[in-house]
Amino acid sequence: MIKRWFRYSFHILVWMIALLSLPVSATTTAAANTPNVDIGVLATRGHLYTKQRWQPTIDWLNLQIPEVNFVLHPLDLDTMANAVSQQTMDFVLTNPGQSVTLGRQYALSWIATLTNKAPSSTNFGIGSALVVRASSDYQRPKDIVGLPMAAVSENAFGGYLTLRYEMVQQGINPNDFFADVHYLGFPIDANLYQLRDRNVEAAVVPVCLLENMVKEGLLNKAKFRVLNPKENGHFTCQVSTPLYPNWSLAKTERGSAQLAKKISRILLSMPPENAAAIASGASGWTSSVNLLSIDKVYQALDLLPLQQPWWKQALRWLRIHQEWAWALFIFFIFINVYHFWLEYRFSKSKQVLEQTLHRLKEKGEMLEHSQRVAIVGELGSSLAHEINQPLTAIRNYSEGGLLRLAKQRPYEDIIPVFDKIQSEVERADAIVNRLRTLITKRTVKKKMCDIEQLLNDTIELLHFRLQKQGVVIARELTGTAVKTVVDVVGLQQVMINVINNAIDACMTYLDRHPAEGYQANIIVRTHYQQDTISIEIVDNGTGLEHDNPTEAFVSTKTDGLGLGLAICRDVMEMHGGEFMIQSLKSKGCVATVSLPVLSKINNRR
Amino acid sequence: MLNLAKTLAVYVVDDDKSVRDSLAFMLEEYEFNVTTFEDGTLFLEALDLTQPGCVILDCRMPKLRGQQVHQLLNEAKSPLAVIYLTGHGDVPMAVDALQAGAVHFFQKPVRGSDLALAIEQGLIQSAGKMNTLAVNAAYDSLTIREKDILRLLIAGKRNLRIADELCIAMRTVEVHRATLLKKFSAKTVAELAYIYGHCHENAF
Repeated sequence: MIKRWFRYSFHILVWMIALLSLPVSATTTAAANTPNVDIGVLATRGHLYTKQRWQPTIDWLNLQIPEVNFVLHPLDLDTMANAVSQQTMDFVLTNPGQSVTLGRQYALSWIATLTNKAPSSTNFGIGSALVVRASSDYQRPKDIVGLPMAAVSENAFGGYLTLRYEMVQQGINPNDFFADVHYLGFPIDANLYQLRDRNVEAAVVPVCLLENMVKEGLLNKAKFRVLNPKENGHFTCQVSTPLYPNWSLAKTERGSAQLAKKISRILLSMPPENAAAIASGASGWTSSVNLLSIDKVYQALDLLPLQQPWWKQALRWLRIHQEWAWALFIFFIFINVYHFWLEYRFSKSKQVLEQTLHRLKEKGEMLEHSQRVAIVGELGSSLAHEINQPLTAIRNYSEGGLLRLAKQRPYEDIIPVFDKIQSEVERADAIVNRLRTLITKRTVKKKMCDIEQLLNDTIELLHFRLQKQGVVIARELTGTAVKTVVDVVGLQQVMINVINNAIDACMTYLDRHPAEGYQANIIVRTHYQQDTISIEIVDNGTGLEHDNPTEAFVSTKTDGLGLGLAICRDVMEMHGGEFMIQSLKSKGCVATVSLPVLSKINNRR
Repeated sequence: MLNLAKTLAVYVVDDDKSVRDSLAFMLEEYEFNVTTFEDGTLFLEALDLTQPGCVILDCRMPKLRGQQVHQLLNEAKSPLAVIYLTGHGDVPMAVDALQAGAVHFFQKPVRGSDLALAIEQGLIQSAGKMNTLAVNAAYDSLTIREKDILRLLIAGKRNLRIADELCIAMRTVEVHRATLLKKFSAKTVAELAYIYGHCHENAF
């Protein structure tokens, strides 16, 4: 029984809940049946102001077209552009500048244009006012070229571009005029506040902003002045530029055409005394006007909305002129191939040149060697003959003398033999002396010389031989390098001679110890002291094989005259310096050349 | 023989006075009969080319070079022996000299004893050459009849036999035989045969 009662009461409860919930679900169904229609509105003076200005119009539309629910979305320039491209709005209401920009890029259908307030009631209500403080003494736009200015944004039509165009028209370079411009963005009221607070000298604002703000009690009219004022019939706001078409409402791709037709009819029929019209600061709507004048502004400022980045234009051009694109591509490929071909040819000819250079150097080396051999040969053979004659005579006399002694000839017979030998010895001596003076006699020119440079030049001269024989040459320096007066040719001869000797010594060592993995090393070490410069040439060759190598005609080389080191010694003595050569304990030898540091040229010996 | 050789003349041709004089000085101590000349032309002008002897030539001389002097001597069929003594000789030069008939080729300075030995050799060679030349001259002076008789004599035939073969009188053969011995300076037919066979280039 009780169970049954419970069942009944449960049923009643369910019914009651169902009955209660019925009107609620009915209202939600009604709301779901009126779809939202999103209207984006450019919020030039902030969201609040935008709502105040446009919500009445939206409400009026909602009233007139109850099937849908119009929703107002305040947007700034960028979000507006985004909204159109992303198709998040059904309708947009924006200023003429953006109308043109967007209209050229997206499929917007213009529905209606705002009409100015009575009494002018034209569709032209957009322009810039160049406002300065009334207290300043600027009279014309020219007076404020380059001064700090405030503007809305680079893309703001009323708040920047129209004035820029006006400056172009007046023959002022807009870049100079706007050399120090600050873009303050939305809300645009900030521009005039900045001007009031003396942060800038002028402000570029959309027309009527100043008047509206004065009316709203935000600013004191007496404190501001508009430069370059234009006569505009019954237009009540001061403006510095011509006027351009007013704000327009457009349908995006998302919006329905049917709805657009209805909206259009309702807006066009809006009476000027309607609250919505008054709130929007207009006297109603007309059919959309021609935007040609705005186009012209963009064209003049090189900002045509269709003007795309250069690469996009190039791509478009390429798509259109494919044959040219291919030709260009083939040309590009050809140029590349040609470039590589040239590079290849260049590297080849470079190789050939290098080989030729190498051969030339080799030939030079051979020539120098054969010349040296020829000189040695010629000098040697004539020297041999010259010295052989007295030697022969001496031998003959001495043998004859010995025979006389053996035969026990008298003393008087033997004396003349020695006289004759004596005179032959003198003859030989004279020959040697003549040769020596011949070799050392050379005109000497002394001049200031950088020893380091001279050594580098010398090594460069011997570079080929060093490289060929695989000799590693190193330079060392202690002290501060100074210049001194030397016989450059003579000193270079000495260096060449000594380094050549060092190479020879290394090569001889290598010949004698072929299996040691020997690396020939030569070190040229300069040591600068207070009044002397010493140059050491150290090698790791065979070392000295003769007790007194600087003596003339002493040589261990089969084709050597034995004059090299003797000449070196003479040259260094002539410099007032020294030439020493000695074996090292370990291996090789060191040749030391020391020079006095002279600062004046003195060609006397 | 040595003593015979030493009586023969030795000539030194060299443009260098000290070399020339010293050589003469030394060679005189070896008891050679030395004469010196300054150059080849003077030497050739002053000399009787038919006489034996030995000449020491320098290669490099003004006017005539040593080799040219040697060539002229050979052309004149001189019996002189040639020795080269030079300050700058080389192997091809020495080979040429020896092929041209030089006795020796020396480089300066030369050891005196070596040079003396070579000169002696040269003098002996020269004397021999002189003999050959004399025999050849004697042979060339023979008449046809004398040459016939010489051939038969050397073949070992007796006078009677020779007279028979040549159809001449025995007495004529004897006269010719005496002339032959005289022309070749031989005392007997055996010596005649020796001289002829040893020296003459046309010997059988």
